[in-house]
Amino acid sequence: MIPISSIQPLMQSYGVTPGEGIAPSLPVTPAEQPGALAPAQPPGDSFSTMLGNMIAEVNSKQVTAANTVNNLQGGGNVSLHQAVIAMEEANVSFQLMVEVRNKLLDSYQELMRMQV
Amino acid sequence: MIDILSGVQSTAAALDAERTRLDVIAENIANANTTHGPDGKPYQRQMVVFESALKQAMNGSQIPTLQVAGIEKDTKPFEMVYEPGNPDANSQGMVAMPNVNIHEEMADMISAERAFEANLAVVKNSRAMALQVLSIGKH
Repeated sequence: MIPISSIQPLMQSYGVTPGEGIAPSLPVTPAEQPGALAPAQPPGDSFSTMLGNMIAEVNSKQVTAANTVNNLQGGGNVSLHQAVIAMEEANVSFQLMVEVRNKLLDSYQELMRMQV
Repeated sequence: MIDILSGVQSTAAALDAERTRLDVIAENIANANTTHGPDGKPYQRQMVVFESALKQAMNGSQIPTLQVAGIEKDTKPFEMVYEPGNPDANSQGMVAMPNVNIHEEMADMISAERAFEANLAVVKNSRAMALQVLSIGKH
């Protein structure tokens, strides 16, 4: 059982004000063991910064792949397989990012469909 | 840095090494009939020596890879051929031909190509595995 309050900062970071879907007057029932979930989240490391870091890494992989291909075409000291491997790595990490985004969107829409 | 395609670092090094091996074989085949080089002697067959190495990864761990230790010259004796009209012939009319055996080079080339192919298969499978993992939970 995940407490609904843990989703509120995430929703705020995406510009959603809580209260439209979740009635503020409704008492949020705490989880059975409040101490079980609390230490899993280190303070100050929100999901949005984690997602931001991931996007930055995926971007740097794309830039590396583009540079490698440019080097290859410009006659630099790069072999064909290095360029292709860099491109594949960029491709797979981009797909991972897209999967994470799809999951996030799915769960957000699931929440929006929830009847209160 | 996330390691999306694990194991590909060592495979990339192996692909590099096999590429070098193929380059050296190409040089050997190209010079199979060269009777004198810059030093006046016939071409000497070259071979690549590989060695395993450890590469520092970006997260500080060591990745086992390999590298080309060096390109050595084959010390096999030259083949003597009777060809009196050749400008490189000695007083008996014998010409020292390079110690390159074209059949040996072809066999080496097949082996280098197969090794390259095997390493490419590793990359391909690593990619396929990553994509299969990403499709967990899809229907």
